[in-house]
Amino acid sequence: MNTSIHKPLFFIGLTVFLAISATALGQVAEGEIRYLVVHDWVKRMAALDYVSAREREQAAYMWGNRSEWKEYMRFYFSPQRSRYEESDEKAEVEWVGYAWRKEPLLFYRDFERQRMFDIVKAEGRLYLIEDSLHCPQWKVLNDLKEVAGYVCMNAVWEDSLKGHRVEVWFALDLPVPAGPEDLCGLPGLILEANYNNGAMIITADRIDLRPLKAELELPKTKVKGKKVSLKEYREVVRKYVAEQKKAEKPWFWGLRY
Amino acid sequence: MKKILFRLFIASLCLWANALTAQLPSRITLKGVVATDTVGEPAALATVMLLNPADSTLVTFARSDAQGAFAFKNIRNTAYLLKISYVGYLPYQQHLSPAESETVDLGRLTLKPIQRELMEVVIRTAKAPLFIRGDTIEYDATMFKVPPGSTVEDLLRRLPGIEVDEAGNIKAQGRDVRRVYVDGKTFFGSDPKLATKNLGAETISKVQVFDEKSEIARLLGIDDGKEERAMNLELKEEYKKGAFGKATLAGGSDERWASRASYNRFDDRHQFSLIGYGNNINETGVNWEDYSEFKGQGTFQALDGDDFGFGGMPTGIYFSTAEADLLNYFDGRGFTRNAGGGVNYNFDNKKTKANASYVYNQTFLDLEEFARRDNFLNTGAFSNTDTLGRNSFRGNHRIQTRFEHNFDSLNVLVLKGDLRLSRSEDDERRQQRFFDSDASTSTINRIRADNGADQQVWMLNTSAVFRHRFRKPGRAFALSAGYNQEVSDQRERFFSQNQLFIPFERLEQLRTRNLNDADGRQFKSSALYSEPLGERWFWQTFANARYSENDANRQVRAPDRGDARVDSLSVFYGFAEQYYRLGSSIRYLVEGFNATIGLAGQQLALNGRFARDRDLPLLAPPIRRTFEDLIPYASIEVEPTDNLSFDIEYTYRVSAPSFANLQPIPIFTNPAFQSIGNPQLGPERAHNFEFSTFYWDDASFASMGFRFDARWFESQIVYNQRVERSDSLGIITFTRPENVAGGQSLWSYWWGNVPIVKNRLSVSFGGNAGRHLTPAFVNDVRNETDDRNWGLNASINFTPGSKLFFSANGDADFNNISYSIQSDLNQRIRSYSAGASVKWEFVSKTFFESNFNYRFFSNPTFDFRQEVPIVNASVRRLLGPKNRMEMRLAAFDLLNRRITVNQRGTQNFITTSVAPTLARYFMLSVSYNFRGHAGKVGSDREGIIIF
Repeated sequence: MNTSIHKPLFFIGLTVFLAISATALGQVAEGEIRYLVVHDWVKRMAALDYVSAREREQAAYMWGNRSEWKEYMRFYFSPQRSRYEESDEKAEVEWVGYAWRKEPLLFYRDFERQRMFDIVKAEGRLYLIEDSLHCPQWKVLNDLKEVAGYVCMNAVWEDSLKGHRVEVWFALDLPVPAGPEDLCGLPGLILEANYNNGAMIITADRIDLRPLKAELELPKTKVKGKKVSLKEYREVVRKYVAEQKKAEKPWFWGLRY
Repeated sequence: MKKILFRLFIASLCLWANALTAQLPSRITLKGVVATDTVGEPAALATVMLLNPADSTLVTFARSDAQGAFAFKNIRNTAYLLKISYVGYLPYQQHLSPAESETVDLGRLTLKPIQRELMEVVIRTAKAPLFIRGDTIEYDATMFKVPPGSTVEDLLRRLPGIEVDEAGNIKAQGRDVRRVYVDGKTFFGSDPKLATKNLGAETISKVQVFDEKSEIARLLGIDDGKEERAMNLELKEEYKKGAFGKATLAGGSDERWASRASYNRFDDRHQFSLIGYGNNINETGVNWEDYSEFKGQGTFQALDGDDFGFGGMPTGIYFSTAEADLLNYFDGRGFTRNAGGGVNYNFDNKKTKANASYVYNQTFLDLEEFARRDNFLNTGAFSNTDTLGRNSFRGNHRIQTRFEHNFDSLNVLVLKGDLRLSRSEDDERRQQRFFDSDASTSTINRIRADNGADQQVWMLNTSAVFRHRFRKPGRAFALSAGYNQEVSDQRERFFSQNQLFIPFERLEQLRTRNLNDADGRQFKSSALYSEPLGERWFWQTFANARYSENDANRQVRAPDRGDARVDSLSVFYGFAEQYYRLGSSIRYLVEGFNATIGLAGQQLALNGRFARDRDLPLLAPPIRRTFEDLIPYASIEVEPTDNLSFDIEYTYRVSAPSFANLQPIPIFTNPAFQSIGNPQLGPERAHNFEFSTFYWDDASFASMGFRFDARWFESQIVYNQRVERSDSLGIITFTRPENVAGGQSLWSYWWGNVPIVKNRLSVSFGGNAGRHLTPAFVNDVRNETDDRNWGLNASINFTPGSKLFFSANGDADFNNISYSIQSDLNQRIRSYSAGASVKWEFVSKTFFESNFNYRFFSNPTFDFRQEVPIVNASVRRLLGPKNRMEMRLAAFDLLNRRITVNQRGTQNFITTSVAPTLARYFMLSVSYNFRGHAGKVGSDREGIIIF
């Protein structure tokens, strides 16, 4: 696999710039981000090539203008670590005044030790994934765009597991290889991610640079779930997607997108 | 010779290549310095990336130091694409071949600045992505707004870095644009202005600026090193637009026919649809799928609720069923001929949503029904048979409009208007025979009635809801207002013959002509304010006001007596209701736990007056009554886990009596059953308790739920009866609504859906249980009817493969009714059913579908037993590209046994009725569906997807 070759290189590159950013920069590449996540289930349907065109067209015709819902996610980052989880803030104003049970969710990355720790629900079951860090294989493109006050460059990841095409915009000025969800491994912090042409769009809408303390510790969790390696978890996902594909049903109601 | 030379050449080449690779180091160090201009100002902290040149995948990256220097140590010696990005500068790219020495010094790498204007205006201000592909700079044209009808030239004037002079000459980044391409092709010759002056701005999605070799260079194939600036205009992909439609035509045995057609056109903002149907197979409207396609994005509405209360403002997306005229609603009795159609238009640009529709539907009904009614008194019982023949017509016009405008993210206005115009005609012939239950052979009397009615009604419902949100999340204000009006005009004729047998046979006749007109108006308004109190508390307060007035005039004339008014039956009744409520609630919320308590004060004032006719003096002083109540409220919603929830709610309800129940007008369409309203009627008061729980599983889609509702009446509106038996009239039942203390209603149901083998075998089950204790006076004796019912149902779905689907189901319903005044007449009503269905694609694109249902009804008290077995079968074949054509041969009710049976027990009587309806027929149908028919057997694939 390519990744095994890239890993040491990636690690070197990382340490080089970590050293630089820590010393020469002097500025804080550490803080909290609020990401706005816009989900669109009709666009998710549209991205499923195995569901009949008739069904996808019908979903678009009936729901195309109201298939969106929004939520906020909270993200802490430093050049060494990142932590992504559900926010207490509600993006849908209609939902203010009601407190749902939050789904246990965590994407924790330790770039120093090259470790990851995730809590994700799949098929209604909770998985605790602990493994060495694995980041997507990025294709870096040349386009420039501003996100939340930062000039960003774009990169693309084609994920064969769920069939995603994820286009991200990473900040040249924030030298942190982190990002929302399980996205990481770019020379700048990922401030925007667009899954499958709008099926899910994650955008940094508030960036607060400040030194962090306990926020970046691995949270002590009482969550009960099945402990698995990344490989085992990916196998669970692969099987479920294949099953749903065979039944020509959307897989995304049973898995995190 | 040539061959040998060639081989030698190849061999030497291989050797040389071998030698070369042998010499190449496996690991290298790559270094360089990034500079921002030729003078050598260093680019500190620039991002330096090494990509795989084949697919641009990122291999590794580094940052330049304060002097602009960077180094990659100990990297694999292979080809790379070096990419440097630095804010304010164009991304730098350089291809690197495998190196010959262990250290490669790339020297000074100079970055080209992005024009200040582009950086500031495009990237920072317009937030438009600036696409840089090699030397091409691309603008997203849709991010720059121009007035409708503008040309590309107008659009270009708005793009930073591009100048257009008076004559239309274009400069991009300071250099003249020599050529303009459209979608990469030259547009009508070489004059760049031709395209920019003639094309509409709205047709362009992207503007790309790049340099290309001069025309001379390209023609002669000589690179003279000169480059010219060019522009490409990329056309928008066609708007998301299209059309679809379908049509079905069917004909069958016994002159059965059906037809249906619909047509839809849409683009990203508009949806336009037409629908029409007609048949004589008891489809009084279209099915859900056709209906929702007709309404499109207007099928479901949110933000429409205009009655605010303890639950705050209704915000969920809901479907307005009661108003859906075009939906099939046939109750299973009789034979109908139906026709209808409509036109619908939806507009949606996210800021403004508008829907408008017009529909018309009509139904002719021919009904025959045979019923038996058993009535229990404190002393004895009597029964009657009832043979009914009815021919009726209903026609409805309806215009529905809805307009929603989002002024900004904080202010929303919803306006709705709904106008209905209905006309109906009824002709009814009835024969009733009355006899004592214990001596069922001797007929007491027999009534023949021949009644008719023509009615015209128009109804208008309008509402406006405005909602404002404050910047503080959760702080909101909403205001609603509505005006409703209903005007009806009815002409009725009644003729009845009462044939009496005891003590001697004779005939009583009654003929009347009724003119009824009614006019009801209602104004209402609500306000709601909500305020978060810290993180854990949420406060809401609301106010409701409603004013309604209704006038009803019923003038009864006797044609046999010179059309004189029958005073005892004629009344003008005017009624006004005023309702005010002011309430407040406070909610405590933590993750997965929400508890609300609230209190409201309510005042209900009822005013009634009546006279013989509209212009005549009042018969009695006006009745004015006021009811004041305190209404408590409590609810708890708990989610122990994210897929399990429990909801508990307590409400106290004080509901005003209906206008119909208040009218002091004797209504008798039939001399044996007379009802009269009660102007003294007070509101119904009840404590309500609801409990529900819901569990689901994301992965398997297993779900189950349970709900329990209880209602204890402080005061219930019931229909008290007085039964008189006289030799002159036979048996007459007088009914009058009155407030009675006591009574309760308990009701529960549960359901579940469990996949046994994922996507193959699933089981669902459900059931219900309820108990209703209803007190009512019969001849001034209090009777308590104890009605217990419970039911169970289960079904199993089995999909062994993609071409076969089976299902089986069964249900049983039990209903035991006991009467405190006559316990020996307690009832045990039963109904059972079992069914099975199969869908099988036995030849490609050819489907066999069949179902069987057996239903059994019984009531041992009357020795009533009725079996209804139904078998349907069809074969359909899909034809043509995309399965657009479908031919179907279907047989309905092969055993020719279909009838409709109803068994119903309430208060002190029970009715059992049987009505013939459409039985065996065969039908051949042809359908065309532009989008293609579903070529699958699974039942769950048909219909609309709803989450």
